[in-house]
Amino acid sequence: MIGQTRAELLKIRSTRTTLGLALGMVAIILLFIVLSGLLSDVTSLGGAENEREYFGIGSFAGLFSALAGIMLVTGEYRFGTIRPTLLFTPRRSTVLAAKIIASFFAGLVLAVIGEVLAVGVGGAILHGRDVAVNLHGRDWALLTLGTVAGTALWGAIGVGLGMIVRNQVGAIIGILAWVFVIENLLFGLAPSVGRYVPGQAQNGLMGFNTAHLLAPAASAAVLLAWTAVLCVSGAALAARRDVS
Amino acid sequence: MAPVVRAESLTKRFGKLTAVDNLSFALEPGTITGFLGPNGAGKTTTLRMLLGLAQPTQGEALIFEQRYAHIAQPALRIGAVLEATDFHPGRSGRNHLRTLSRAVGIPDTRVDEVLRVVELDKAANRRVKGYSLGMRQRLGLAAALLGDPELLVLDEPANGLDPEGVRWLRDFLRGFAQSGHTVLVSSHVLAEVAQTVDHVLIINGGKLVRESRLDELTATMGGAVRVRSPEAAKLREALARAEIEADGHDHTLFAHGTTTERVGEIAAAAGVVLHELRTEESSLEEVFLELTAERPQ
Repeated sequence: MIGQTRAELLKIRSTRTTLGLALGMVAIILLFIVLSGLLSDVTSLGGAENEREYFGIGSFAGLFSALAGIMLVTGEYRFGTIRPTLLFTPRRSTVLAAKIIASFFAGLVLAVIGEVLAVGVGGAILHGRDVAVNLHGRDWALLTLGTVAGTALWGAIGVGLGMIVRNQVGAIIGILAWVFVIENLLFGLAPSVGRYVPGQAQNGLMGFNTAHLLAPAASAAVLLAWTAVLCVSGAALAARRDVS
Repeated sequence: MAPVVRAESLTKRFGKLTAVDNLSFALEPGTITGFLGPNGAGKTTTLRMLLGLAQPTQGEALIFEQRYAHIAQPALRIGAVLEATDFHPGRSGRNHLRTLSRAVGIPDTRVDEVLRVVELDKAANRRVKGYSLGMRQRLGLAAALLGDPELLVLDEPANGLDPEGVRWLRDFLRGFAQSGHTVLVSSHVLAEVAQTVDHVLIINGGKLVRESRLDELTATMGGAVRVRSPEAAKLREALARAEIEADGHDHTLFAHGTTTERVGEIAAAAGVVLHELRTEESSLEEVFLELTAERPQ
């Protein structure tokens, strides 16, 4: 298990895929932080709730963490490395668990980079525009820890999803459509259901007070449940399916 | 001695298609066995079941009398290569090997060792993207060798190799088997492995059609009577009336299960001119083609 986790961590580090994802994440977070920081008027930036959403841009790390998790699984099927991987570690649940742990760590790293960027650059912009920051100890704790914990879980969600779908393009399109279209539609049309989707659970976990969102603790439980369901389904399928 | 590899009534169905059909065989330690059959005969499916990547529909495939997934640290006893292209193109050869060695606790020094064995030490830090097919084949072999295994299972290892590569592989496998190790190597071209293997398993349409020592293969198959005639079609009809099977092309026929005397008599009785009449020992390739001639349904 420890050996396989070391192997999975090396897989993450030894191609340029992860670097590409990290650079993509940095670009997106910077773009949104800088654009909304400079273009919004001061009134829509100030106030605790606006600031929470503004600094919450760092949680884009979650999406990139999920993409990294998806790549770690689907890349093996795309390039056929799943065959040697399973020849060395025939227990598929061990391989999957190692990938979940490795993606969790990758997610932590991405989250820390994302948060440092969002809070650092965003804070500097707000300071420059003379917007007083109204967030306090608990707010900051929820925002940063919620982003970091959530992003790590998104990595595991990506692994579970990748294991279920196996096709790289399909899994990536699937998660993008889910996060950007389906979740928003669900939350917009039926918030009593939509608040249970992982993206809204992530927002709840960070302490957003948007109407209908679950409280941080409940949101954490929902996000964990999603992670568990996807990973367990992925493991069950992996155990049964043949590798061509 | 217990067989190294054993298949018992091994069967794999994909929907209506039976890819592997009630296959039973055993490999003795210290042998190099060629696993032969035309493309689509079920070789790769058999190997995948043997290596725990696919579940048999019926029967079982055992290595060291155990299912692959139940062998403790299988990579330390069995080395296998299924596809020559199983690499992430953006990862270096050395890192590819390390992602495998780390999984089972093989030290990095062993990675460097196998890289030298397959003569890739100079290219080890380059990304696999830039490797030739021959280099990829050797990198796959290096991965199989990491655990210093007693059994090597290779699926079509000579595919796409240049003659020099084929020769390198042959020498390597011979050296490997000389130390008492066992090799199972599949191919759809008998000639590729004829100089390497000592046993053959021939399958066609998922069924075992022959399991024997290589040197017994030609002997037991017997030869054919080769007959050349400008009136081959007429001769073939005369042979058919005498219930002798013949095949061939243009002016040359091969009559089976008969003698030169009998063919000569039939030709004379039918008034057919003969230009040549002799017994021919069938070559290995002919035996192979004959055994696998029937198209699987």
